[in-house]
Amino acid sequence: MSEANINPTQSEAPPHITAKNVDLNNCDREQIHLVNAIQPHGVLLVLNESTLSIIQVSANTESFLGLSPAAMIGQTIDCLLDNENVAALRSQLATKNLADGFSHLLTVSCVHTNERFHLFGNRIDELLLLEFERPNDTEQFSDNNHFLRLNATIQQLRGSTSLLQFIGIVVDQIRDWTGFERVMVYRFDTDGCGEVVAESKSPDLETYLDLHYPASDIPAPARRLFMLSPLRHLPDVDYLPVPLIPENPPLLNGRSVDLSYSFLRSVSVMYSGYLRNMGAKATLVLPLMKDGELWGLISCLHHSTPKYMPYESRIPVEFLAKIVSQMMNDKEKMDHYSYRYQLDQSLHQLAAALERFETFEQALVLGKTNLLTTLDAQGAVLIINGKLNLLGKTPTEQQVGLLVVWLAQQDGLVFSTRRLPHDFPLAQTFKVIASGVLSMRFSRANSDGIIWFRPEEQQEVSWAGNPNKPVEFIEEGQEIRLTPRTSFALWKEYSQGQSRLWLTCELEYAKQLRQVISYIIVNRISLLTQINAELERSNAELEAFAYVVSHDLKEPLRGIHNFAELIKIENDVPSPEKRLQRIETILSLANRMDNLLESLLKYSRIGLSELDLQSTHIGNLVSQSIDVLKKANPEMGVTFNIQPTLPIMNCDRMRVEIIFHNLILNAIKYNDKAKKTVEIGCNTSVNPAEFYVRDNGIGIPADYHEHIFQLFRRLHGSDEFGGGNGTGLTTAQKAIKRHGGRIWMESSENVGSTFYFTLAPDLISNKEVMQ
Amino acid sequence: MKKNRPLLIIEDSDEDFEVTCWALNKIGFTHPIVRATHCEEVLLLLLSGTTPADWNNLLPCLVLLDLNLPRMNGLQFLRDLRVIKSPPAIPIVVVSTSNNPSDVSTSYSLGAAGYLCKPLSLDSYVEKLRYLTHYWFDAVTLPE
Repeated sequence: MSEANINPTQSEAPPHITAKNVDLNNCDREQIHLVNAIQPHGVLLVLNESTLSIIQVSANTESFLGLSPAAMIGQTIDCLLDNENVAALRSQLATKNLADGFSHLLTVSCVHTNERFHLFGNRIDELLLLEFERPNDTEQFSDNNHFLRLNATIQQLRGSTSLLQFIGIVVDQIRDWTGFERVMVYRFDTDGCGEVVAESKSPDLETYLDLHYPASDIPAPARRLFMLSPLRHLPDVDYLPVPLIPENPPLLNGRSVDLSYSFLRSVSVMYSGYLRNMGAKATLVLPLMKDGELWGLISCLHHSTPKYMPYESRIPVEFLAKIVSQMMNDKEKMDHYSYRYQLDQSLHQLAAALERFETFEQALVLGKTNLLTTLDAQGAVLIINGKLNLLGKTPTEQQVGLLVVWLAQQDGLVFSTRRLPHDFPLAQTFKVIASGVLSMRFSRANSDGIIWFRPEEQQEVSWAGNPNKPVEFIEEGQEIRLTPRTSFALWKEYSQGQSRLWLTCELEYAKQLRQVISYIIVNRISLLTQINAELERSNAELEAFAYVVSHDLKEPLRGIHNFAELIKIENDVPSPEKRLQRIETILSLANRMDNLLESLLKYSRIGLSELDLQSTHIGNLVSQSIDVLKKANPEMGVTFNIQPTLPIMNCDRMRVEIIFHNLILNAIKYNDKAKKTVEIGCNTSVNPAEFYVRDNGIGIPADYHEHIFQLFRRLHGSDEFGGGNGTGLTTAQKAIKRHGGRIWMESSENVGSTFYFTLAPDLISNKEVMQ
Repeated sequence: MKKNRPLLIIEDSDEDFEVTCWALNKIGFTHPIVRATHCEEVLLLLLSGTTPADWNNLLPCLVLLDLNLPRMNGLQFLRDLRVIKSPPAIPIVVVSTSNNPSDVSTSYSLGAAGYLCKPLSLDSYVEKLRYLTHYWFDAVTLPE
């Protein structure tokens, strides 16, 4: 409640505030439920349930029941009801749940007047409260009529396509049903402020539609009571409260009976005063619940006369309000449907842009779809590596900088407020632009993230009708305070530095965008980690490679050097044969070096040029490879078995030739059998296809299966088996890896070896994906 | 120490073996020199506990081991030797072209008694072998 319009509060408030001492400053604490008085349209009895003896009654018993309070107190219920009714009452008490509110128990006849009453009961604080109300004898609605009418209304509500339309139907229908002159739906914000969102009224009345109210207009205790009772009815604003007698019954030990659920309970004087100021003579109020929370109120006002709604007429309205509550959730969802759809679209576009563009700034700020495209905000800031990218109407960079520091201290990665200047006083200076803030940080590690700004709401709220046209009702000697118009002024004051509420779907949008971005960040980090790991491995490989190469090249070089030195040293010792022998050695070492360098060059070329994929007939390719080998070695005497159905593959022809050349060469070379055979084939029943080259040669001991693919690794002396230099398999392996394939082998000594390889990456099996 | 205990050189390259013999001869090394081209044969001999006739039926007094050998390389030889129950008390000195630090440290960690990097120049090689023989045959005591 704002101080501006209201007198200063008393410094010491009494512990209990009741109708006797309440004013505008303390009505928030008024104990409305302990009011100890009721409205005059019924009778309240407080009983001891086990004995059904009467402890306390409302002072108006005589006019209803024909017995004075004095004649009833201390008696049992038998003083009012005949045996049959008492027995029926007892059986109702035994079976009905009376703890959560007043329930209709039965209709009874009073023994003294023979008048019929509806009897309601509530069990609270170990007391039994009974309320007597007169039935409706004038209007006659049959149950069937009610049912048909309800059904029609529900059909109509179902057909509504927006929350506003839905609520519009509700107010029209209820006005039609009840005959109240004005029916409004009043919606609470999270902070207790309210707004009239729908209204149905007789044409001569001033509209209250779109008026905003401060939270103090319907204070927290009142909101609680509205939630507890399915319906509150005040038939006559100018009623005289009926006290409970005796005021302090000895059995209650000075306590007031809790009338929280009482239908007859006397209302707060502030409430009746307010209604009087509005010119209302009677009201009926029903809560609208959503997800167990008080969402709003259906408020019915009658302005011309008092208006009493008997039980029979209240029931269907109450029922309707409950159904409306049930339907609220779906309707509210529907209301933002198109907005949510557009947010979804934007999210997808931003996600696509994030995939496409290199920087977040390009994707989120500079693109056609940006952070402000759909989200209802006027400005946004993208913070990347601490650098601010401003978009739309935002505070200055310096102001945003301060805000970023403050936001980083808030809990949660997604944060929103509609009252930034109240939460963060430094924001006072830029509240016009940024009273509302929705922000998200990508991670807890730093303040990188996105902030959206919403302007102060007052700049936006449109006033329905002329704001200067007074609607205050001035009563003699009374201050003009509690009227809708002054309430609006109060609300305006309260809503200084406040923006429109952030919707659930907007928070959801921010959360989802955050997820998309963190997913991309994580992906980028893991890609970077992967590249780094690959780089490290390739660096290590390169280092190892350099050592291997330098070692293997140095060996013959050192030999050349040494033998040349020997010739030089032995110059004075004439031995032409020895000298010639030394020179031969040098020449052979030089040849070996040349051979090594040539192989190295081949090896490195495999990795250098781009893969030149083309459709290749592998059968032809193998035949050509064998022809080349036969030409170089006409008398090798090998039987080749080539599978006739070798496939056509999309591969790099030059590299695949190298693979087959090296594998076939090895198959021939390392073979000491009299009948050498080499078998070449392919298993196309698997994917990728597996090629193989099989020989009946010397085989490879299991210990060395791992080593054979290492560069310059030989399993035999440099002169054995035609002198290999240990590059063949390494080269073949490199050519295979260049295709994404792999090479492996099976071998047993003296039986033969089979080398298998593929020319495409292995498909990841489902099992591995699961893992 | 018996003067006829051989020096064992495990070396696959004929040229390198020839140069090493020449250099040892040059510095006046007198022990008999025997050669193996594969580690496996040496390992088998050591495991069987028999010493062939060309070793004068004696265990070598010192082994010069090349690293880059076909099949089992020098490092694998050192590794396999360590798992023998009672390894022979013979110091093994690696003589290799490799100056790869990982080869050097692996050799020592596998129990090599020294690591000699073969230089390019013959003079330096002779010098290094001179130091090596001084150390093993003049300075330190070898097991009998």
